[in-house]
Amino acid sequence: MRAVLALALLVACGKGSGPAPGANPRDALFAIYTANKLVPTPFAPYAGPVGGDCQTGAVSGVMTLVCVFPTAAAAKQAEDAGLQWVGDATGMSQAHGVLLIAASDRKKADPNGRVINQLMRLAPN
Amino acid sequence: MMRILIALGIALCVAAAFGSSAEAHGKQVRFLGVHPIPKTEGGGICYIEGPHVHIYVTNDKLQYRVHAGANHFVGDPVAYGYDGPKFAYKGPHPIHVDDDTEWCYLEGPHFHAEAPPASPEFKVVGDAYFFVGEPPQVFLDARPTYVKINAVYTPMVYARPTIVVDAPDGWIGARAEFITPVVVAPVVVAPNVGVGVEVVAPSVEVHVPMPSIHIGVGIGGSIGVGGGVIMEERHEERHGDHREHHDNGRHRGHGK
Repeated sequence: MRAVLALALLVACGKGSGPAPGANPRDALFAIYTANKLVPTPFAPYAGPVGGDCQTGAVSGVMTLVCVFPTAAAAKQAEDAGLQWVGDATGMSQAHGVLLIAASDRKKADPNGRVINQLMRLAPN
Repeated sequence: MMRILIALGIALCVAAAFGSSAEAHGKQVRFLGVHPIPKTEGGGICYIEGPHVHIYVTNDKLQYRVHAGANHFVGDPVAYGYDGPKFAYKGPHPIHVDDDTEWCYLEGPHFHAEAPPASPEFKVVGDAYFFVGEPPQVFLDARPTYVKINAVYTPMVYARPTIVVDAPDGWIGARAEFITPVVVAPVVVAPNVGVGVEVVAPSVEVHVPMPSIHIGVGIGGSIGVGGGVIMEERHEERHGDHREHHDNGRHRGHGK
């Protein structure tokens, strides 16, 4: 029975091999996004100069980078690197606790910035 | 070759003169908070409340201040179509951005997307904020330049806050040194043939605050500014669109 429950939790978090929501701040973040009608696509590992344990994907059409750092200070320090990842587009890079969240509207899917604002506002500190 | 060098020099000078002083990395230009989007970029409002980047510049020195390397909009976002939480103000007031202070020089009723922090410098009357503090020298020094923002907003037609209340004691707009008389209309008598030209000096009418309380949203294209509490030429009352008041404190701190 316990095994079935554990399996159900893993499936519910949408990451078969990932931890349950709450255990990993990135998964908890995705759960918050989904609960607030933002639509994350599957995220893939990103190995760039930002540092941390990063994954990229799209949330409601906006390219998003979510990196997990060992400390909140390290995440804060990576904000500028996150802006470099944003590139030549409307975007934002902000640390929320141990997470660095960067959003880049490269496809101009968010002309008034409402999605980007939601991405940052919903993120727990 | 000489002409090319001269042209290049002129171009560099123009770029230096009109370029934004906000920080730019590559093509990125930094902004802080909600602001209008230039028409060339589609127009409307950018709703990103925190520090963010765009790949366009703003050279509007009347409506933006540079704060920590980012362009911070100090005008009324409702004039550009903003429909988020908004707070009514009357007259000039400080805008607190993190630990810094910028100044809004709009003299009439207007909105901002953020409420001021709790402070004795502000009094709330009729659900509108009035600055009753002592303006610092920096405000006075910059006033001749930035007060011109009123000429930008006066002809704009949008849903302004309609504030008809007695201004609280100490309100900056009621102080003689900050009253901008409202010129109602210059009266010019047309020349008569054979009689000569008679020009009557412009008449100046300063409205006096009237004791009453009313808060609403009016669509006005001409709001008098200055010492009176309200001088409004209301064209239409929009029912059901009364101002919102969301003071959940989320504005400050979002920008980190």
